[in-house]
Amino acid sequence: MAVLNRMDWYDLARTTNWTPKYVTEDELFPPMLSGEFGLPLSAWEKYDEPYKQTYPEYVKVQREKDAGAYSVKAALERSRIFENADPGWKSVMKAHYGAIARGEYAAASAEARMMRFSKAPGMRNMATLGCMDEIRHGQMQLYFPHEHVSKDRQMDWAFKAYDTNEWAMIAARHFFDDIMMTRDAISVSIMLTFSFETGFTNMQFLGLAADAAEAGDHTFANLISSIQTDESRHAQIGGPALKVLIENGHKAEAQKRVDIAVWGAWKLFSVLTGPIMDYYTPLAHRKQSFKEFMEEWIVAQFERALTDMGLDLPWYWDIFLKDISQTHHGMHLGSYFWRPTLWWNPAAGVTPDERTWLEEKYPGWNDTWGQCWDVFIDNVVDGNMAMTYPETLPYVCNMCQLPILGTPGKGWNVKDYPLEYNGRLYHFGSEVDRWVFEQDPERYAGHLSIVDRFLAGMIQPMNLEGALAYMNLAPGEMGDDAHNYAWAEVYRALRETRKAG
Amino acid sequence: MSTTSSAQAYHNNLVGPVMRAGDLAQAVIEAAKVDNPGKEVFVDDKRAYIRIHTEHEMILRQATIEEELGRPFRMNDLEVDLSSFAGQIESRDDSVRFYFAKKL
Repeated sequence: MAVLNRMDWYDLARTTNWTPKYVTEDELFPPMLSGEFGLPLSAWEKYDEPYKQTYPEYVKVQREKDAGAYSVKAALERSRIFENADPGWKSVMKAHYGAIARGEYAAASAEARMMRFSKAPGMRNMATLGCMDEIRHGQMQLYFPHEHVSKDRQMDWAFKAYDTNEWAMIAARHFFDDIMMTRDAISVSIMLTFSFETGFTNMQFLGLAADAAEAGDHTFANLISSIQTDESRHAQIGGPALKVLIENGHKAEAQKRVDIAVWGAWKLFSVLTGPIMDYYTPLAHRKQSFKEFMEEWIVAQFERALTDMGLDLPWYWDIFLKDISQTHHGMHLGSYFWRPTLWWNPAAGVTPDERTWLEEKYPGWNDTWGQCWDVFIDNVVDGNMAMTYPETLPYVCNMCQLPILGTPGKGWNVKDYPLEYNGRLYHFGSEVDRWVFEQDPERYAGHLSIVDRFLAGMIQPMNLEGALAYMNLAPGEMGDDAHNYAWAEVYRALRETRKAG
Repeated sequence: MSTTSSAQAYHNNLVGPVMRAGDLAQAVIEAAKVDNPGKEVFVDDKRAYIRIHTEHEMILRQATIEEELGRPFRMNDLEVDLSSFAGQIESRDDSVRFYFAKKL
């Protein structure tokens, strides 16, 4: 039997717009959900998805992908990789699963919105497949960690982090709610699929896979790189939407959405991905520094593709280039210092060898971040453990929900970017965070940061114990040093040597 | 801390797939050489993934990959290990094209 080539029938098969007779176009595609760009169905029919896939092809390819990922897991299940893994690597897995697994279902919901409400037939087709992709990612990233729950209580956070008020989770939810849960179909295509998935997910699902493969965790490396093969297809949903908007005179609105999403993604990755790549992953297994991965995936690949679509580099490009050398070091220092408030055990990552590596990758590290760690290390060596824990709260940004920080040392540059809106004073960690707020104040104004909640008396008693209870962190879950401070022994020995000398 | 290298990373015209490691990736490397005559194929092996790039444009043909693999291969089977790519993509029945519309 002769079978038509896909391209002989694809365009016709997915030409599924019609002229509604019983309802208006706005009733069929409410602007609030379909996108308030004032473009009729006919404009969106020009949408041409570059990465084409049909349902029968999808099923065949996905079956093959699943067979690969699940068979690697089954083959390695008895190899005790988790039991034998460095505690820093276990923390990588815990942070990853908790912050991401349940969010995949939120992404499925966002894909479903494009599937129903986009006026572009091609987008509806690709989003149908994208929605199933995200369900696959949710299922796998809940199934894979489940085998470890009985071994380590923190692994339970793969399942429950999204339901808690843990501070990093509030930050993650705030960002994901902004770009995918509360946006119209077209904005989702730009902010979630184009900005987040062609850009940042590569950092977490391929950059980290490179570290995982080096660490010998082939189950995890195989899982996350398999997930990214779905992303690389459905991430292409946004590109043609950008082209339609630009052709119809809406470049500024498209650019604004990209700039907002890229900044939010950057801040989230500075706290999630930066520390795990540059501090938790054992030194011998680090494929590249976080900054090098950022340069590879975001600067060289994503931003280059962005300008090829007809957009401009974000207005904050120079700030961003400076920050990729700095912000995540502060996020690491802060999250490590407040470690009881994490659902994983952060690795300090500051042995002399690791510091040499940090200095090489980030010239000036010892004179800046290193100075803070020197004080911390002295306290550990002296046995002043009380001094190694916080007594107060950090100041948190009202946009990214992460601590407001600067680079320590001679160039100490911490700065609050305040804004008064409707009688309330908001604080932001950067000019860009404040700019995002100003683009749509009503969208963000009602949100309370973890510190706002504390000051409003919503967290009782008003101390660390109350804060931990509010964040749903029970003893046995709350974080402490991944290696139980064993790394400090080398500093103790160095001090003894100096004394003896 | 300098930002020079970061800014420079943006100035490139490299396009092409980022493949999960495996026999398909090896076949794609060979196919990239065959299907893009006269172009240097840059291969950056990161163990979990392999960047396979050429300047400005890369064509990969189904027939070439099939021959390199030594088993039947359909163009959309590429997706099984295509975890990312640089540049824009154009999918056809018997080939795939990665490209930049603008040269830097």
